[in-house]
Amino acid sequence: MAGRGKLIAVIGDEDTCTGFLLGGIGELNKNRSPNFLVVEKETSIAEIEETFKSFLIRNDIGIILINQFIAEMIRHAIDQHMESIPAVLEIPSKEHPYDASKDSILRRAKGMFSAEDFR
Amino acid sequence: MGLSEKEECVLLDQKLLVFMDQLELLEEKRERLNSLIEQGWFSMSKARYSMGNKQVSALQYGSEMEPLVRVHTRTLESGEAEFQTKRRTLKSPEERQVEDIGPKDKEGVRRRVKTQEVPEIDQSDNKHPWTETEPAPSSKPEPNPQQDPLKWFGILVPQTLKQAQASFKQVVELSAEVATLQSAVLTTRQQLQMKQKSSSQNPDLTD
Repeated sequence: MAGRGKLIAVIGDEDTCTGFLLGGIGELNKNRSPNFLVVEKETSIAEIEETFKSFLIRNDIGIILINQFIAEMIRHAIDQHMESIPAVLEIPSKEHPYDASKDSILRRAKGMFSAEDFR
Repeated sequence: MGLSEKEECVLLDQKLLVFMDQLELLEEKRERLNSLIEQGWFSMSKARYSMGNKQVSALQYGSEMEPLVRVHTRTLESGEAEFQTKRRTLKSPEERQVEDIGPKDKEGVRRRVKTQEVPEIDQSDNKHPWTETEPAPSSKPEPNPQQDPLKWFGILVPQTLKQAQASFKQVVELSAEVATLQSAVLTTRQQLQMKQKSSSQNPDLTD
């Protein structure tokens, strides 16, 4: 695992972004796009989806953290992402606790089991 | 053929057990991650209560930021990805001060500001070192993108904000572990599905 390393991106509400930026993940300068998006009430779903897809295309992002209630808005885009890098982690928000049944990764993992498998 | 059938079944069972263990570990790490995030928010709310609502918000973000933590990735032969964080240590204020002094010495030219009339009187009294050491305008402090993000919120921040930062730093480390486990779970799932398909296609194994 040599080299400079990749960034951790975050798409979340103000508190989530503030917390992770305090944690030291933020990158912001005039030469590059920021690796975070603060989602407010006025932020459109199109903008969220566009930002998410731009993070997927960038080869310098290793992990994308996204509030689960925001992930629900762009669930189709998240379900289409099959690559292991960048990894997409759904996290809770203040008003919406984490629900494992909605997590794309866990749904994919648990979806393998059907009644046929146990015969 | 009997041995290979048994071997196939044993391998399938082992794979299934590994998958279950990975799922259980993933769930544990997730719970820890979520609880740390909530702890961070709670500390941030307490800091906001003491500092003021607008003092801990997006308005305080630095105009320039450099990431202090990066994640190193590695893809294994099986397609599984591993993630590991690496945090950069910030330079101490003394080190930064030393670097700042260096260029100023090289520039060397000390500017006297509005002192042309004064030297006639002060020739016998050159005890005003501060006129000679006025800093040149070019050495204004520039925002340091590598600074600790805590400094965006002021010089003296409450302990609760430092606690929030500590919680989120742990969350970042744990995120890499959760990402690694997620990838492992999905890879094991794929392998299990392939084995199940091959066993269902072989009628001997289903007997």
